[in-house]
Amino acid sequence: MHIPDGFLAANTWVPAWLISIGGLGFCLKRTTRILKDRMVPLMGVMAAFIFAAQMLNFPVMGGTSGHLLGGVLAAALLGPYAGAIVIAVVLIVQCLIFQDGGLTALGANIFNMSFVGAMGGYFIYAIIRKIIGDNKGIVVGAAISAWLSVVAASSVCAIELAISGTSPLKIALPAMAGVHALIGIGEAVITCLVIGFVLKVRPDLIYKNQGA
Amino acid sequence: MKHSYIDRYSGIDSFIHRIDPRVKIAGVFSLILSIILARADSFVSFALYALCIAILIFISKIPLIFILKRSLVVIPFVLMVAIFSAPAIFRNVLVKSYLSILSMILLVSSTPFCDFLKALEKLKFPRIFTMIISFMYRYIFVIEDELMKMRQAKEARSVGGSKWLHTKALANMLGVLFIRAYERGEKVYLAMCSRGFNGDIRTMHSFRVKRSDLCFLALIVGVLAAIKVIGA
Repeated sequence: MHIPDGFLAANTWVPAWLISIGGLGFCLKRTTRILKDRMVPLMGVMAAFIFAAQMLNFPVMGGTSGHLLGGVLAAALLGPYAGAIVIAVVLIVQCLIFQDGGLTALGANIFNMSFVGAMGGYFIYAIIRKIIGDNKGIVVGAAISAWLSVVAASSVCAIELAISGTSPLKIALPAMAGVHALIGIGEAVITCLVIGFVLKVRPDLIYKNQGA
Repeated sequence: MKHSYIDRYSGIDSFIHRIDPRVKIAGVFSLILSIILARADSFVSFALYALCIAILIFISKIPLIFILKRSLVVIPFVLMVAIFSAPAIFRNVLVKSYLSILSMILLVSSTPFCDFLKALEKLKFPRIFTMIISFMYRYIFVIEDELMKMRQAKEARSVGGSKWLHTKALANMLGVLFIRAYERGEKVYLAMCSRGFNGDIRTMHSFRVKRSDLCFLALIVGVLAAIKVIGA
């Protein structure tokens, strides 16, 4: 869900921008510490990958289709900080080039999808992974957190619209969360299959929480 | 390669295309900001903003059909909000978002993307982001082509079969794509290292602000201020 310009009031998009700038600064610091000067080419290519992956539509239910958001996918493969940066870069490019999401709303979009979606999703993933353990934990964690991240991001989006006075919370929140609970199923299936595939072929590429 | 999609009309020659990208960005961003912050009930000011944008589009010589087609991206979100918003609020939101989208389209389709990025950097947009974005821009098309090829190959060979099978094939494709992209990133980095890359990217071309640019900026600021006064 990319919020266009005009849908958010200044009391929402200004704070969202500030939080996102601060958060991205923090993520950049953490990622540069690990990747050093590999950062730029690697993040650039990974952002292009997520961008391409988002173009694939998959059937959801009853003839509608959704596309991958890739938040948890990016975070599970690259780690929460690099994942958040990659998603933010994708959002910036979508806003600037494709007008998918507005300029003033960009801060809120980054907050919803990078921080609530990718980073928040990652922490749920990490917890489940720890509890179940092993490869099974990775796959199950990816599926559950992917679904949750989509629902959470869309709920936060509904809350932001409500704070701005654009749409009443009582109607918008259940509607947004409900629709995305369906879309989230596709996200969960694809994310866990992709993670499962990478786990089989190049298990070394799955992010392990070490040296962070 | 769909390279032409982004820079389709940024090569034509018009007054708008010749304006210094920094000035253009500053002008359009302030236009969007004043549209967003305009009072909801002043229809006069929205009409004037629309007139402004229409004039700019006309000067830029970019086909109107192209701009209108691209502005349709706003539709899905608008439809969704339309379901659960009061009509008055909805109308206001719709006008604002549509006008801002038109201005953004005008900006990006009249500026070559590399110039756009460089101008952002000159305007103190964090350098690390512009570097990552310029890499991404370079590889979007490569990776997308790879994905399309894989999809074509899959579709050529798989007819029928269960939905689950297709989903699984799709996921495996994404997995392969990720591994290839990751390895490509590493290779690109090594290639850059062997050419002396130390985390810094230098470019030669620099911008120069002309007198006509300053006139344009002054005009935009003047018009925006005037609309504020009239609409209030």
